[in-house]
Amino acid sequence: MKKYHEDLDFRGEEYVSDWTPWSPQDIRRKKGVLDAARLMLNSAMTAPAAGGVASIEGHLVYGQEELEAIARKVEELAYKNKAWTEAFLYEAVMVRDSDVIILIGNTRCHETPLDGACGLCGGGLDCSYFYDRKKHRYGLVDITDRSSSRMIDGPLCTARVNDFGFAVGSALWTARTLMVDARPFASIGMAGQKMGYCPKSGMVVGVPVAAKSKNPYVDVNVDYHLINMDKVVDSARKIYQTARIIRGFDYRKWVPKPEKTEGEEK
Amino acid sequence: MGHLIGKAYCIEHVVEVAKSIVLAIHKAPQITGKTKIEAEIIWGDDLVPIIEVLEPVAKAARYVQWDYETIKRCYEKGESPVIINIGGKVSRSNLNWNCGACGFDTCKEFNAYAKENTGGGQLGGPSCNWKIMDYAIACDWACAAAWQYNVDNRIMGSVGFALTVLNYLPDSDVKLGLALGPPRDMVYYSREEMHKDMTYEMDKADMVRCVPEMFTAFTGGGNPQYKTKNDWWAPPEYLNVGYSDAAMEMMQKVLFEEIPEIVVKHSDAIAARYQK
Repeated sequence: MKKYHEDLDFRGEEYVSDWTPWSPQDIRRKKGVLDAARLMLNSAMTAPAAGGVASIEGHLVYGQEELEAIARKVEELAYKNKAWTEAFLYEAVMVRDSDVIILIGNTRCHETPLDGACGLCGGGLDCSYFYDRKKHRYGLVDITDRSSSRMIDGPLCTARVNDFGFAVGSALWTARTLMVDARPFASIGMAGQKMGYCPKSGMVVGVPVAAKSKNPYVDVNVDYHLINMDKVVDSARKIYQTARIIRGFDYRKWVPKPEKTEGEEK
Repeated sequence: MGHLIGKAYCIEHVVEVAKSIVLAIHKAPQITGKTKIEAEIIWGDDLVPIIEVLEPVAKAARYVQWDYETIKRCYEKGESPVIINIGGKVSRSNLNWNCGACGFDTCKEFNAYAKENTGGGQLGGPSCNWKIMDYAIACDWACAAAWQYNVDNRIMGSVGFALTVLNYLPDSDVKLGLALGPPRDMVYYSREEMHKDMTYEMDKADMVRCVPEMFTAFTGGGNPQYKTKNDWWAPPEYLNVGYSDAAMEMMQKVLFEEIPEIVVKHSDAIAARYQK
């Protein structure tokens, strides 16, 4: 067994700041968020579930390229449905503005239902609504045909989805307790699922997490996909540079000065 | 100035805690932002209709039996649980997401189906799964809030069934009950209220029925013996699959005879509370 060795070289200093993005000081800050996200995912595992049955899996995703890939997938989905377009484009911006994305999935809602005759899926007194619409033999659901054109291959066992909501709720509660910002999103969940995250799940929810001076998931402006912090910073780089080049002088020989007003000392 | 002694003030305070928990229910984040959630608080003598509905169901379902016995006995002892009735409106989609999770290609088709089939299930349904997610997040926040207040609690589908048949929260179509208190450890887990009711034989019978693979002998013969006793080979017993008249009769009697009788007894009084 590996023996525990205590690191007694306990000294050092760390500078932490959210500016500039992806700098060492920002990455240190992001690592704190990753710790919080890990605890959030643990919380999802402890949430109540019908029969106490384990049914939650999760992925933690972080890093510039990884988040960019999710954001682009959300943007792709945005154009698949008019009802999604505006919201999903906004939410793609939120993905890029996040420190860590948690993808939480339920591994049973599509394959191993509760079989509790609760009626939540189709309103009946048995589970026939689910099974009549699934490929199965004697109640064992065959999920090997993954060619469905639907975003989510329903129907799902809604009792399991209810448990799934408990799990997402617990993750969000832990975020609130740890004072990191987080919100649940269908867009990020569906994008993550299509990208292969939470591979055993029938339904996935995305919970982006951030610890920045401004909560990335609230107080958005209109046309947020066009006007946001990244775009504003880029705009400053674009506009200011041009302002520089329209005038020029050799600062070693001459620098323009304000005109003297009357009575002003030299 | 003041001096609170005894237990009564503690039990009364669970109601105040419940009010704070309701705030957490309404504060819970939503995925859709469009799911209507409501919550009520109920305790003491007002639990009687719920307890009465759970009594026959308890005969048909063990997990309901434990909820029923716990709530009833605490109530009879003068230590009434306080129950938060949590409801959600989930049986229609106004999202137009057409995601397929419900089993239909479009929200429009789902809504048409739901219009014809709402109210047939024991706990509600049909449901838009994204709205159920919002509802469940709110329920989970209620549990987490209760946890932070250190009040023993359990979210109960059994109470949700009673709320549904008695038509509490008439504007909601999915309902669960969060039972809180009385103030002590382990009311709803490792339930002391049940100590003298579970015999060894009942416990063992439940295990044999519910965890069958633990009791199955060598399966190579295709018809494995079933180990329910020490000398399980003499005479041997085999697992059998078949229709159960007894189970179906019990379910029919509970759902279509006993519960309607209780509902009729209480329905006018409960409906009167929601008359605007």
